[in-house]
Amino acid sequence: MTTNSSASNFASCHSDAAGPLAASGAPVVALVGAPNVGKSTLFNSLTGARRQVGNWPGTTVEVGRARWSVPLRERTAVPDLAGAGSWDEPGSEVALLDLPGAYSLDAISPDEQFTRTLLMPPDEADRPDLIVVVADASRLARSLYLVSQVRESEGRVVVALTMSDVAARREIEVDVEELHRRLGAPVVRVDPRHGIGDADLARAVAQSLGRPPLPARPRPDLAGDELASADERFAWIQDAIDAATVSPQAEPRTWSDRIDRWVTAPWLGPIIFLAVMWVVFQLTTTAAAPLQDGLDALFSGPVSTAAVAVLSAIGLGGSWVESFVVDGLIAGVGMLLTFVPLMAIMFALLALLEDSGYMARAAVVTDRTMRMIGLPGRAFLPLIVGFGCNVPAISATRVLPDSRHRILTALLVPFTSCSARLAVYVMLAATFFPNSAGNVVFAMYMISILFVVVVGLALKKTLWRTMGRDPLLLDLPAYQPPHLRILGIVTWGRLKGFLRTASGIIVATVAAVWLLQSIPVGGQGSFADVPVSDSAYAAAAQTVTPVFAPAGFGNWEAVGALAVGFVAKEAVISSWSQTYAVEEPSELDAPGALGDAVREDFAQSSGGHTTAAVWAFMIFLLAYTPCVATLATQWREIGRKWTLFGVGVQLSVAWVAAVAVFQVGRLLS
Amino acid sequence: MTEVEGTPSMKRRLAEMGIRTGSHVRVLYRTTGGGRVVSVGGARVALDSGLAAAIGIEHRDD
Repeated sequence: MTTNSSASNFASCHSDAAGPLAASGAPVVALVGAPNVGKSTLFNSLTGARRQVGNWPGTTVEVGRARWSVPLRERTAVPDLAGAGSWDEPGSEVALLDLPGAYSLDAISPDEQFTRTLLMPPDEADRPDLIVVVADASRLARSLYLVSQVRESEGRVVVALTMSDVAARREIEVDVEELHRRLGAPVVRVDPRHGIGDADLARAVAQSLGRPPLPARPRPDLAGDELASADERFAWIQDAIDAATVSPQAEPRTWSDRIDRWVTAPWLGPIIFLAVMWVVFQLTTTAAAPLQDGLDALFSGPVSTAAVAVLSAIGLGGSWVESFVVDGLIAGVGMLLTFVPLMAIMFALLALLEDSGYMARAAVVTDRTMRMIGLPGRAFLPLIVGFGCNVPAISATRVLPDSRHRILTALLVPFTSCSARLAVYVMLAATFFPNSAGNVVFAMYMISILFVVVVGLALKKTLWRTMGRDPLLLDLPAYQPPHLRILGIVTWGRLKGFLRTASGIIVATVAAVWLLQSIPVGGQGSFADVPVSDSAYAAAAQTVTPVFAPAGFGNWEAVGALAVGFVAKEAVISSWSQTYAVEEPSELDAPGALGDAVREDFAQSSGGHTTAAVWAFMIFLLAYTPCVATLATQWREIGRKWTLFGVGVQLSVAWVAAVAVFQVGRLLS
Repeated sequence: MTEVEGTPSMKRRLAEMGIRTGSHVRVLYRTTGGGRVVSVGGARVALDSGLAAAIGIEHRDD
């Protein structure tokens, strides 16, 4: 498991990743802070669109990295500071790292462990040159624990004070100068949501970098007594707060409280939550659909036609080149681009839900239900979105702060039945169960939920036994109106990341399938001009067909359709119609000739137990790998190892369930 | 707040959130699933029913 990497691994990862950024000798500045203090907002505001996001090598902990301009050059103008820096030449940029949120350096979760190792590596040389601790002025006591720990060893520290506006609303006054004296480190007020204070922070950082590191704050020798050590820190923090802040006697009840009273209320909370989820679901399905269809039509229509025209003009019309460009390249790129509007909507919604503060409330409301499968409340969102499309759902696992939860949720999302699978159920149900098609489709959704719960429980019992035991203890940040600029930056950054990682995998797979379908075997046809049934693709499907005999659908047409379904479930029906060389039904609930052909095949392969075989087939279709785009997204979010593990789980669960259904069904009929 | 019960790591997490023996915590309202939202040090913290039971709160009229 990746999160078990040893401390020394973290240290070496650090130098790897910081390498390209620090290559010019630029100082490394680490941005740390408790969750929800506005750390990532500050990071985005300081570095703008230059943010690079990626999983740290060997972990699934995400770290933002970017260059940040600070006025370092000014430092050469101050004579007594010459040579104080630990880098070779004065530059104007530092490498800024955005670390996962942590309340303290006492590592409890793997993400906190990671932050700790980065800030306090065993080898002092690996330490960042400066640590910026982001502190929330409205909840200062909480934010300063990290400062107290960071100040226990020698090093440069700057405190960035956010949320002064929220503090002001709560009538809390903070004296920045006094706080500076008490903490022994510069304190700078910032408001990253409006870009205020960024320059001041840059100046403070540049000044600190030009000076020798701050000495560790004096503290009594506690001989490793953890509890006494923590008490000493709390006392130190309390002293600083008493001296530097003025709080109202009776805390005013804010409008945020008034909203929360309803939003997390025992009965109303879940209703509001479901309403919000309904809107998210509608926007990622119904609203995105016309955009997706439009792009799809554009690529299969005008773009393909234009490509054919161009190729004909240069004498390649009707050749394998034309087939490759149209059916391989354009189809692959087109498929990738149809996901763009969907992902943009999903990422914008995610940013909106997180930024406004509602996500934390949703986590409270759903906590009890999700805890049953070892996941925190906010895992609800990706799983619900999964019923629309698995691809944005897997990206939505980012709402989970703990990387183990992200992995488990991303492994469960493929079992949520997406709308592409619905099309296949509808067609099969109309063919085989014309009188109860609605009930059959409904049953498939129930089975989908069952799969999520059972697989979730099984993974929790085997891989993450300690997970889900932590009780709910969650900060509720004050509601704030979403900020368009920040939403835009976050959405664009995530969309870019998706395109960069997913594009290669999707286009390569579509091209590979085209290649297999183009290679003739058995003497029929020529390269790129061969019926699918005579291609290498069909030959490959045929070899695995016997595997599905115990599930009652050991006919190669069905298996071939499943193999195409690996690329995209939408392709299952068109693959069948291609294979049987019949017209694709224009209405899914009136399958006509295609229905007759499929019915005949299932009756044959199941030895007359058609009903059992069709159920087995639908269940296999539900549970196995949804599509190549899902895989590409998983690859990006949880890494190659877990993605391949997930494929293994999906295939085994699908096969076992299909065989069980067919065998039991055969006995009953 | 009179006393906090629980495992050392749980106590530490609560302490990081500002919930310690002797700290001033105000219970604001009940949530779905029987938990509570409390106000502590200017922050709003949601606790589930188990945690809410594990911290002993001494009632005091403000």
